[in-house]
Amino acid sequence: MAQSTLKGIPRALRGALDKVALWSRINSPWLVHFNSGSCNGCDIEILATLAPRYDLERFGVKLQGSPRHADVLICTGPVTRLARERLLRTYEQMPVPKFVVAVGSCSITGGAFHGCYNIVGDIGDVIPVDVYVPGCPPRPEAIIDGVVQLLTKLKGGAPAKAPEADARLGGGS
Amino acid sequence: MSVETDFLRIQGSVAPWVSGSRTAENRLDMDTSAERLVPAVTALRSLSWGYLSAITGFDSGTAAPSDGHIELLYHFCNGPAVATFRVKVPREDPSVPSIGPLVPSAVMYERELAETMGVKVAGLPKKRQFLSDDWPENVYPLRKDFTMESAAATREVGPAVGSEEAPGTFIIPIGPQHPALKEPGHFELAVDGEIVTHADIRLGYVHRGIEKGAEDRSWVHNIYLMERICGICSHIHATAYVLGVESLSGVAVPPRAQTVRTIFCEMERIHSHLLWLGVAAHQAGFDTLFMYSWRDRETIMDLLEELSGNRVNYSVNLLGGVKYDIDGKAADSVRRGLDFLERRTTHYLKIVTTDESFLRRTRGVGAITFDQANLLGTIGPTARASGVSRDLRVEAPYMAYRDFPVRPVLDSRCDLEARFVVRINELFESYRLIREMLDHMPAGELAVPAPRKVPEGEVISRVEAPRGELFYYIRSTGGVKPDRVKVRTPSLCNWAAVLSVAVGHKLADIPMIMVGIDPCFSCNDRSITLRRRGSAESWSWEDLRAYGISYYAGGGA
Amino acid sequence: MSVVLALVALVLFPGGLFVIFGSLAFEYADRKLVARFQNRVGPRWFQPLADLVKLLVKEEIVPVGVNRGLFNGLPLAALAASLTAALYVPMAGIAPAWGFRGDLVVTVYLLMMMTLCIGLAGANTQDRFSLIGSTRALTQLFSYEAPFLLALLGPSIAAGTWRISEVNGYAREHIWMIVTQPLGFLVALIGLMGKLELPPFDAPEAETEIVSGALTEYSGRGLAFFHLGRDVELLVGLTLISAFYLGGLGNPLHFILKTLVLLFVTAGLQSLFARLRIDQTVGLWWRAGAVLALVQLLLLIVLKILGVRL
Repeated sequence: MAQSTLKGIPRALRGALDKVALWSRINSPWLVHFNSGSCNGCDIEILATLAPRYDLERFGVKLQGSPRHADVLICTGPVTRLARERLLRTYEQMPVPKFVVAVGSCSITGGAFHGCYNIVGDIGDVIPVDVYVPGCPPRPEAIIDGVVQLLTKLKGGAPAKAPEADARLGGGS
Repeated sequence: MSVETDFLRIQGSVAPWVSGSRTAENRLDMDTSAERLVPAVTALRSLSWGYLSAITGFDSGTAAPSDGHIELLYHFCNGPAVATFRVKVPREDPSVPSIGPLVPSAVMYERELAETMGVKVAGLPKKRQFLSDDWPENVYPLRKDFTMESAAATREVGPAVGSEEAPGTFIIPIGPQHPALKEPGHFELAVDGEIVTHADIRLGYVHRGIEKGAEDRSWVHNIYLMERICGICSHIHATAYVLGVESLSGVAVPPRAQTVRTIFCEMERIHSHLLWLGVAAHQAGFDTLFMYSWRDRETIMDLLEELSGNRVNYSVNLLGGVKYDIDGKAADSVRRGLDFLERRTTHYLKIVTTDESFLRRTRGVGAITFDQANLLGTIGPTARASGVSRDLRVEAPYMAYRDFPVRPVLDSRCDLEARFVVRINELFESYRLIREMLDHMPAGELAVPAPRKVPEGEVISRVEAPRGELFYYIRSTGGVKPDRVKVRTPSLCNWAAVLSVAVGHKLADIPMIMVGIDPCFSCNDRSITLRRRGSAESWSWEDLRAYGISYYAGGGA
Repeated sequence: MSVVLALVALVLFPGGLFVIFGSLAFEYADRKLVARFQNRVGPRWFQPLADLVKLLVKEEIVPVGVNRGLFNGLPLAALAASLTAALYVPMAGIAPAWGFRGDLVVTVYLLMMMTLCIGLAGANTQDRFSLIGSTRALTQLFSYEAPFLLALLGPSIAAGTWRISEVNGYAREHIWMIVTQPLGFLVALIGLMGKLELPPFDAPEAETEIVSGALTEYSGRGLAFFHLGRDVELLVGLTLISAFYLGGLGNPLHFILKTLVLLFVTAGLQSLFARLRIDQTVGLWWRAGAVLALVQLLLLIVLKILGVRL
């Protein structure tokens, strides 16, 4: 963690270093994807954000295979009884600072599967979620917006009405 | 009619083990008992007729264990015809013998019965396979006396779930979180160097309990639930469901609605096959092809959005018709989109059949022979790539396929390349079909009213999903909710084939072989999971393979 | 060379910071080109820098059961080796900072350190994917290393020296060796792609089979160093090949033009092919790569003995 390694450095310099660290985090969010019981709809839309039409690499987003390399856990679906433990484990394997984006209505409330016997809850019941992206499934633009909201939040801006986020989205796609 | 003569032939040969039989259009129901089941199935198999499509179980009881019985339905299909063995077993001690030795693919369905219905299938291990390991004992979700409270309990979990390595083997776990899988499933591959010596599977990570959920929802509400069984082939699930319910209620759907449904089915096939092409290319480390095919796939996504307002889960179906019309303007943009896609698809066909580096990864890899495909009950494009002609659109036309016949796409090369070629050629067939349907769209209503309650009865609804035959069994007791909805998805049938061909291949080929059947975990998991360890006492895929081999040796196929 | 100059050469130019930023620029160019070939927009110009800084300030998770010294030391060793190699090549078209008879061999060995370190790092972490990844990385090392070396020997034999700066000088005064030794050029360029584990030689980190290969368990600083080391290796390798085969490097303009042309070619090759299986890679290198390089070399020696001037 940046904060702990920076002890003993003058405050002014520490502030500047923190700013650089924050800048790098905002500009290089690497994702790891976990499906804990989703119907696939959200997953294919997440994949579509990497394809040429939406190309998330423009924002420095890379889909990583190993949770160890990732900054953002992007989850889909309600949490099934069997997937719960793996979701936790994937989250725990990620190095801090780490963030969670929950994609799809099911990840917020259980969606269409609410009340089914093998569902233990939504993503927020298992791990802390930073950004929810509603929709069944959300459009790729919405998923990108979710990631941008997360980055805006990191910057300390108000997530809901971030002009920069709008500009980015509007200009990029 | 050949179906009727077939049924007569079957009735003749199974007569000694069957206490009664009834025929209806394309249906043959035969009552038998647990003791006579094995000889009856043997007799049927000796005719070399059809393949086991699904085993359905339903509970006719209500609360007390002694009340009612559990009925098991063994559905064998051949083209449009379905022959069903019905076995009634008492609720307090439901046990049947395994028909696995006769029909290897039955093992999956039997394990499902054992866990969800509590049917004791002799010869199967007692190990937990698809519900989570802490699921309470003696609680069976598909029984009528099941309550959420009873599932809340947990049971002692034994030794941690994980790979147990026999000395000298090196086990590679794949999943449930793994880059090769956009969805969770868990595989354990034992490798010797780079060669896979054993393949194993544990599904159930996306098992949500939809079949039970369907019993708590109204007939209409269930359309939306069924649509969310799988986000890739959402429309076909809803279609299979509404076709079944409509036939139960005796609703005649207007021809225009049927044609719109069929057009959406074919568009979904296009989107699904292009998606698969990209994912499969990614598995081969050919990301450029992935990027290009997904770029072009956006064309069909745009069209779906234009027609229905949503890219995925388009929610086209109603009971009794469809919500959306396709007018002249929309038809024109569909035609334009198809023209573009047709040009691109020609290009992709050229790539997968001529690109040297890609062919190294597909030609001769993961071959499923004609006999294996037949024996293991393989369906869909996977079967057709092995020369097994199983396509319900051709053999048992439904909806607008009756008026717009489908030309079957077959390939006899059996390997991965063939699976690519078959799917890409199916794209051309879909383009042709959609154009024809748009050109000859029947006029008329889009929907007719359907009753809120569905008359008592049962129906089997089979349609051809992008991945193969999709099987729905729907049973009504005359109420506002279904009594039982059984879904058997295509991916489930193809796992057996994949796991048996995986052994002996190089680790690097496994993702390609797995993806070659276009697996859909979300589809299968709603009903079943298989898990097995390398230990000798458990029932394994290896046993399943051995079954297959001994079956061949017996010349029974 | 005075101490001050030596320090400048080490820390600022042509070694140190210049190489680090230069290699990040090359990583950007590579990713952008591949993205364009794949019909995408691709990353922004500062992307590699942001990635690097982010990884540096991230938590470093040391898995249980690894040798901590090795776990932390290997990425450093890999980076140090590539940075050292940068000092012996005509970076930016300027004469190498250091040089001695036989520095070609030293450079080739330094470039090999990277793969060795990755292999050891994978074996050290005891993760299944890492183990398979490192086995594959080392297997691949044994397949491309010999042809790569042979391919670099060609120009050096033609020039009659083992010193990189002299080969560079010879290349500038003679006809481009890509013309006289096309086979060697081909093997060297593709060998470099193999060294860098670029597609289609990315079996050691085949995402779909073994997650991220040997580096699966590295999270923060270690991963950053390995990534940076690989970028530096890309820069050094491209410099070396353009110095040898593309008529030598005499000034920064030469350097930029020639290395970018090479990068364009490698990016194109990366997007053209499907991943080779590890056995196919080994087979390709020993059946085709090594034979081609040997044929080239023998031809050269025979011509040299016959006294033909190249």
